Amino acid sequence: MTQLQRDKTFEPSGVNGKLKVVLHDVSGTLIRALGTIERRGYDYRDVHCTQRVDGDFDLLVHIEDTGGPNNLDTLCKQLERLYNVVSAEMVGRRKRAERA
Amino acid sequence: MTTATQFDRQQTEILANREPKSGARLLLESIAAQGVDMIFGYPGGAIMPVYDVLPKIPELNHILCRHEQGCGMAAIGYARATGRTGTCFATSGPGATNLVTAIADAYLDSVPVVFVTGQVTSDLMGTDGFQEVDIFGITLPIVKHSYIVRDPADIPGMIAEAYFIAAEGRPGPVLIDLPKDVANALTRERHRWRPYPKVKPEMGQAQDIAAAEALIRNANKPLFYIGGGIAQGDGVTELRELVDRTKIPVVSTLKGLGAMPSDHPNYLGMLGMHGLKAANYAVQDCDLLIVAGARFDDRATGKLDTFAPHAKVIHMDIDIAEINKLRRVNVGLDGSLKKNLAALDPFKNGQIRKDISAWTQLCYDRRAEHEWDYDAPGDFVYAPKLLHDLSRRADDSAIFTCDVGQHQMWVAQHCYFDDPKDHITSGGLGTMGFGLPAGLGAKLGAPERTVITVSGDGSIMMNIQELATLFRYDIALKIVLLDNSALGMVRQWQEVFFDKNYSETNLSDNPDFAKVARAFQIDAFTVNTRDEVDAGIDRLLAAQGPILMHVKIDPNENVWPLVPPGRSNADMMER
Repeated sequence: MTQLQRDKTFEPSGVNGKLKVVLHDVSGTLIRALGTIERRGYDYRDVHCTQRVDGDFDLLVHIEDTGGPNNLDTLCKQLERLYNVVSAEMVGRRKRAERA
Repeated sequence: MTTATQFDRQQTEILANREPKSGARLLLESIAAQGVDMIFGYPGGAIMPVYDVLPKIPELNHILCRHEQGCGMAAIGYARATGRTGTCFATSGPGATNLVTAIADAYLDSVPVVFVTGQVTSDLMGTDGFQEVDIFGITLPIVKHSYIVRDPADIPGMIAEAYFIAAEGRPGPVLIDLPKDVANALTRERHRWRPYPKVKPEMGQAQDIAAAEALIRNANKPLFYIGGGIAQGDGVTELRELVDRTKIPVVSTLKGLGAMPSDHPNYLGMLGMHGLKAANYAVQDCDLLIVAGARFDDRATGKLDTFAPHAKVIHMDIDIAEINKLRRVNVGLDGSLKKNLAALDPFKNGQIRKDISAWTQLCYDRRAEHEWDYDAPGDFVYAPKLLHDLSRRADDSAIFTCDVGQHQMWVAQHCYFDDPKDHITSGGLGTMGFGLPAGLGAKLGAPERTVITVSGDGSIMMNIQELATLFRYDIALKIVLLDNSALGMVRQWQEVFFDKNYSETNLSDNPDFAKVARAFQIDAFTVNTRDEVDAGIDRLLAAQGPILMHVKIDPNENVWPLVPPGRSNADMMER
């Protein structure tokens, strides 16, 4: 193995968490959001999508990174950059504690 | 770019006009209403209804390229040379898939282009019909946004939104997939289109501006690291004024070239894998990196955790998702680069800065120490000197487009640029075959300018059919073909990193390129030796129509310096 090849070995960094993404009900938005999550280096552990009374969708995903310099804050910004994505935020222990 | 007010006005006009029109006519009239005057395209079965109406819309000049990839890259060249949104048409199936490389190129270099593809009729979609592919699905990762048109009444609003999205914020490609039955359908309906609400912040928060100014005042070794966002954010003037106010040295990415004039006293050159030594050393030593419109791309940074290891970072970018993506920053300023650069005034009210004269002197001494040496050994034409001389002899300093490989880096290193629109290269995707179609698009967009395409013998073969487009429209593009009878950059890497195992990079069986060009009825000649170069440049620059100068260069010439991939920018290899 050359030095060049050795330099290209990645290890997952162990980043994981839950995101809540709100989507407009527009063709292609769900697949665009899910595809962005996967292409930016995350695997799904759990996915739920439900329609709200206002017609938008709540997408809840539990994800785990597959390697590379990832962080969930950047992923949320990348999701919010998509058209017809209303918002993307991390949800988790702190939110539950606040609710309690 | 369409403003929110213009968008609203267009919506009102659209709703007021209820004549029965086909989807194809609505499409073309809506495109014309955006101020588009040029479309690059290639007809085919599914988009025939659009081409049937096209001659009836005189505002739209159609340029028939000879391959859809050429159409897409010509639209990119047009957009980059003019600062306007490009437009490109293709048919379904293979026509659409041939656009994919161009769409990806526009995405990675943030170029505003609207791509319209024909599609099979709605009832055939999903049945694997003839010339049916899911181009919407195929391109999801490489578009800023995309649509499938389901109702012709949506078209006017959709087109207005598509052009708005392509140019707004960080620009990018937008795809519109138009089924044939929707293009044919007549309608009196016009659907109001919701104006897109995600308008980016105008500029950074006041406290962030103040924090950035304090970092600049307290830095001992500050450095600007600028990228393609300067030009796309229309921030060239503001950047130059800020540099003049602060006297801080500047390094540039490949796409940032021209934002500072190549001979500006504060400019150190391009950084990164093939960057100038003075630029890379400055990055390694600085204690404050002011990043403007750049994104810490791996070709610029080398091994990321060794990049500017001692520096605090101010990062300005229109795209907030780029801030803190690869490098944690001390201050992030999202929003308009133009406004953020103008707002930064670290020495207002007589505020005192640290003395940076020792630092700037070190930078400029290094720049002088590592000046290019154009006195190369050997008898072959020395490509860097040819490009250096050519760019300085063109009357208006010329727009350069190029392909990808060694010649691309020589253009970046040795040509003179004083405007970022003058350097059109495939920086993000690195697309061989980009230079010729981008050059013809640039020349059509800026007919008064000298436009020079620099290509290699590997790259030009990937879109050589566009020589026919040059002849068809008599586009006075000047092509410099640097021929080393090899895939030069790959060959160089095989020499340096793969124990000289030259696998599949020998192109010594190339055709006679001058003869090929003449077969397309393009004037062409070959330069074989150094003493023919000056006369060759004269002939190239004097030509009134399209011309190709074929230059034989040393097959063993390499691009230096070179930072090995995955290494620090401090580890530059030399000849």
